[in-house]
Amino acid sequence: MSHAIETQGLTRRFGDRTAVDDVSLTVPERSVYGFLGRNGAGKTTTIKLLLGLLRPDAGSARVAGIDITRDRIGAARKVGALLETQGFYPNLAGRENLDLSRRLLGVPASEVDRVLEVTELGAHSRRRVADYSLGMRQRLGLARAMLGATPVLILDEPTNGLDPEGIADMRGFLRELPARTGATVLLSSHLLGEIEQTATHIGILSHGRLVLEGALDQLKSGLASEVTVETDTPEHATAIAREHGFDVVHADDALVARFAPGEDVRAGTAALNRVLCMAGIHIHALAPRLRTLEALYRQAALSAAPAPALS
Amino acid sequence: MSTIHTPRFTTALAIEAYKLRRSLALLLAGVAPLLIAVFVFFNMLQMDKPSPWEMAFKGSAGIWAFFMLPMSVTALTALVANSEHGPRTWDHLRALPIPRWHLYSAKATCVLGVVLLMSLALALMTWLAVQAAGWWKPNVAASGAPEIAVYLMLLGRIFLAAWLLVAVQLWIALRYASFVPALATGIGGTFFAVVATSAKIGAFLPWQIPVNQLASDPARAQLALMVGFAGGCITLIAMTWHLGRREVL
Repeated sequence: MSHAIETQGLTRRFGDRTAVDDVSLTVPERSVYGFLGRNGAGKTTTIKLLLGLLRPDAGSARVAGIDITRDRIGAARKVGALLETQGFYPNLAGRENLDLSRRLLGVPASEVDRVLEVTELGAHSRRRVADYSLGMRQRLGLARAMLGATPVLILDEPTNGLDPEGIADMRGFLRELPARTGATVLLSSHLLGEIEQTATHIGILSHGRLVLEGALDQLKSGLASEVTVETDTPEHATAIAREHGFDVVHADDALVARFAPGEDVRAGTAALNRVLCMAGIHIHALAPRLRTLEALYRQAALSAAPAPALS
Repeated sequence: MSTIHTPRFTTALAIEAYKLRRSLALLLAGVAPLLIAVFVFFNMLQMDKPSPWEMAFKGSAGIWAFFMLPMSVTALTALVANSEHGPRTWDHLRALPIPRWHLYSAKATCVLGVVLLMSLALALMTWLAVQAAGWWKPNVAASGAPEIAVYLMLLGRIFLAAWLLVAVQLWIALRYASFVPALATGIGGTFFAVVATSAKIGAFLPWQIPVNQLASDPARAQLALMVGFAGGCITLIAMTWHLGRREVL
């Protein structure tokens, strides 16, 4: 599979602080790549490096096969971006703002109508941006990013300021985008739930370093599965389960059984249930813990050693 | 999929002009020459007898070059720069597939164009003010024929001499997101230009170069014009080079 975005050892320092530290990421074509990390992890700096807004201290970045440091303009032709700073002229209407960007991109005037339709902003396009809500500005930003139907879209926190309905719309829209347009989407966020429901691939940034990357389904399947067992006597139940060779821990007045990746969780849960019942333990509930992105994120973030220079 | 191609410099320039729509910068461009014209109008009404056209024209050009032009350029460049700093559009502009020098040189050209239009507006408004004063109070109507060409030539020299002033103020305004450095420099520069009117160094002080076009010594006026225009061109090139290479964090 070829890559829409690829970096090798990308590094950027601000004084003695390393904001992006030896990041080598690969974003497959036609994927929705969730770029995760807490605030200050280096996501926005990485995005600025990918857009040529900052120069790397080391390493390289290629967008749509073009080296951004050697041919910024060529690479910029392949990218549409929605940045955290929305950057609209409040004295101009939404349509006028789009038209300015459209003319600077050198794409046909019909593009403005197309992106307004896609983002459902047509009815408000003649209002001044100063009168737009935060959510409308965010959609206008997305519309601007889509001008010219570039093969790569880089979206920094696109759901910022959207109401729940707007978030759901945006999620559905982004999920379908690669199939509809052939575009690749790099989606930066610190909202795990949003990424989990939207992304096909993820990269987790912690303290400026890429600590985990890959196809989301594959990464989640590599997680251990857990089943929580609620009983009156969790300590006794824990001892019984251990005697029978189960990997269990006693946590929060319950017993948590862990099953290794690839192990048959259904069969294992049934066996555990049988053992505990035969030992006379009253079981109130058996609840599987899903392999979530949150679990993946915690595992990756905890395993990453904090960089001493992180602000 | 549409093909994105690099637009020409003229597109960037047209867009800069378009951004002025409904902006404070455009309001300022209209108000500054209007204030001088209003002053000329009421000043003529104070008189008891007719005065020559030349006097009204020189008075208008003097106020313009001495005070209103430096202050207007200070405010205009700060407002134009703030149209990008305020909504934080730099990242978007600089991520576009256009050479960055286009952005900055288009902005400089646009500001120079507005200052030129202000100069022309001043000429028109002064002429109208003198006419209106004569109509309002016939005994103070300007005497003789208005030497429009001479007046326009003077305003043209003042405009060319102001290029260094525009370049310095615009560079500071674009470099710093805050209004403060640009306003402090402009107000400070104008203050020193006013208090040191006859200083020899005035021919080299950006805020005082324009008023030197009214100097009785033609050599001094010529020197100031050369310093203002050539210095402005060089400074604008340096500004474009510096800002185009600079990272906006």
